[in-house]
Amino acid sequence: MLPLWLLSLILPDPHLDLRQEARLRKRDLFYSGALLLLPLVWSSPRLHYVMILAGINAILALGLSLFLGYTGQISLGHAAFFGTGAYTTAILTTRYGSPPFAAFWVSAAAAAALAYLVGRPILKLKGYFLALATLGFGEIFLVVVREAQDFTGGVIGIFGIPWFSLAGFSFDTYLKQYYLIWGVLMGLVLFCKNLIRSKIGRAFLAVAASEDAAATVGMEVAHIKLGAFVVGAAFAGFAGSLFACVMSTANPEAFGLNLSVLIIMMVILGGMGNLYGPITAAIFLTWLLDILGKYQEYSMPIYALILILLLITFPDGIGTRLNIRLIYLISYWGRKRRREKVDL
Amino acid sequence: MSLLSVEQVVKNYDGVLALNGVSLEIQKGTIKGLIGPNGAGKTTLFHLISGIERPTSGKISFKGTDITYMEPHEISLLGVGRTFQTLQVWGNMTVVENVMAGMHAKLKGGFLSCGLWLPGVRRMEKEALNEAKEILEFLGLLGRWKWPASQLSFGEQKILELGRSLAMKPELLLLDEPAAGLTVTEVRQLAKRISRLRKEGISVFIVEHHMGMVMEIADEIAVLENGELIAVGRPDAVSSDPKVIKAYLKGTRVDA
Repeated sequence: MLPLWLLSLILPDPHLDLRQEARLRKRDLFYSGALLLLPLVWSSPRLHYVMILAGINAILALGLSLFLGYTGQISLGHAAFFGTGAYTTAILTTRYGSPPFAAFWVSAAAAAALAYLVGRPILKLKGYFLALATLGFGEIFLVVVREAQDFTGGVIGIFGIPWFSLAGFSFDTYLKQYYLIWGVLMGLVLFCKNLIRSKIGRAFLAVAASEDAAATVGMEVAHIKLGAFVVGAAFAGFAGSLFACVMSTANPEAFGLNLSVLIIMMVILGGMGNLYGPITAAIFLTWLLDILGKYQEYSMPIYALILILLLITFPDGIGTRLNIRLIYLISYWGRKRRREKVDL
Repeated sequence: MSLLSVEQVVKNYDGVLALNGVSLEIQKGTIKGLIGPNGAGKTTLFHLISGIERPTSGKISFKGTDITYMEPHEISLLGVGRTFQTLQVWGNMTVVENVMAGMHAKLKGGFLSCGLWLPGVRRMEKEALNEAKEILEFLGLLGRWKWPASQLSFGEQKILELGRSLAMKPELLLLDEPAAGLTVTEVRQLAKRISRLRKEGISVFIVEHHMGMVMEIADEIAVLENGELIAVGRPDAVSSDPKVIKAYLKGTRVDA
């Protein structure tokens, strides 16, 4: 029974994979293979390091994609759950000497619990009001972290978080951490795929499209929004825990509004209601920010320009109907050239 | 005991009296039509029954349970399905997913069991898919089950919305102008399907401007004007009621 179940997680299920993104295709195998081989073929520490950050961002974007991309709700405080995960791991490992693997799960549970407590009251809000409330929550989180110095180390933060380790195996190089993080991401992608091909995924999309209609078929809208919020927060908790282990420090700098906005950008650029788009966008934006870093004061204007151009070219996100967009663009150029010929 | 009873319901929107003391009852296994000029309060009455809005005063009960102040999803779980006057099909899903989403409450499984795709979840999804296809066959949409719902024609989307509310196996179905915008052939098919629903024991409460269709399928018709019921009765009786002719039919007698 168990091997059959494991197979059902991985193998395509042509009858039940009604959503395109839940279908496992050759393309996915190709991408997974490429990610597996990439650090071996091109073994530069910088590549490994940036891809580790990209992987962590991708986990964050994947989690928010459920809430923002599928359920259609906005959260400007997602970085707070990332921070919760990081600080939970930091405190548990440095103060109480708990093994990182245990702290990893506790971090996700802590982020999820916090999301549940915060989400219950504020998810009654919609649109701009929800954006403001989550923004406020993110800021409150930062203030609490800065002020609770005995616990979090204040602005300086916590140092000396041990490497992630599992059953005596320590992830002490960038290469090992690369596989750890992208392995976790793949597990979470499978979870998301299953979620969205089930009744839960349909409920997400239904709430995004029409809350009234969702309620009239017996969906408890508040419960579904809260669920998407909590699952997204748990993902952020996982990401935060891994981040703390990779960086070996946790300080409030890393968990502010900038990060929340970056994650939202990844989801929007990747495409709403899409799983692979946000991951692609996370890799892309992480690299972009890393490369632009050396242009210092020009980096932000260039970054903004590239984002604007991308969103004009791919208004539905780079993950949505990419091929159709490309065909359209090519045919547009073709038409334009032909038209110019006629004019001449 | 009647299936649905609405007693002295008043709805006041900041001074605009949308419904003023409306009382009516729907018996099990019957089709009741609700007609009236635009702005008479028909859709408001539907919103109140399905819980999307709350009445200012009055009482609504379904199968003896007071549902006046219940949440919309609780009311639908009791067995009240509805469609909307303005299309509310979920265009971000395929046709069959729209119908399967209608079965949401019947399918078991939470976030964890669905995310882990436990064998029970898979089995239930499969049953849901087959059931959804049966419903689509009944509605004549099976050929397009994998289409994105947003790409169906207007008429087909209205039918799909009906299919979605059928998927939750309602005992009472509230249809808000299902024939609006449909072609003559589609209206005829719709009328046949609604009559078939009654044979399967589903009671229907239908708001419709398409007189020919309501007169043909309804067992009883209620007429609303300016938030007040001005007549209730058999279709032929209502259509010859002088008050109705004056208020709604503008002096011209309508034959079914």
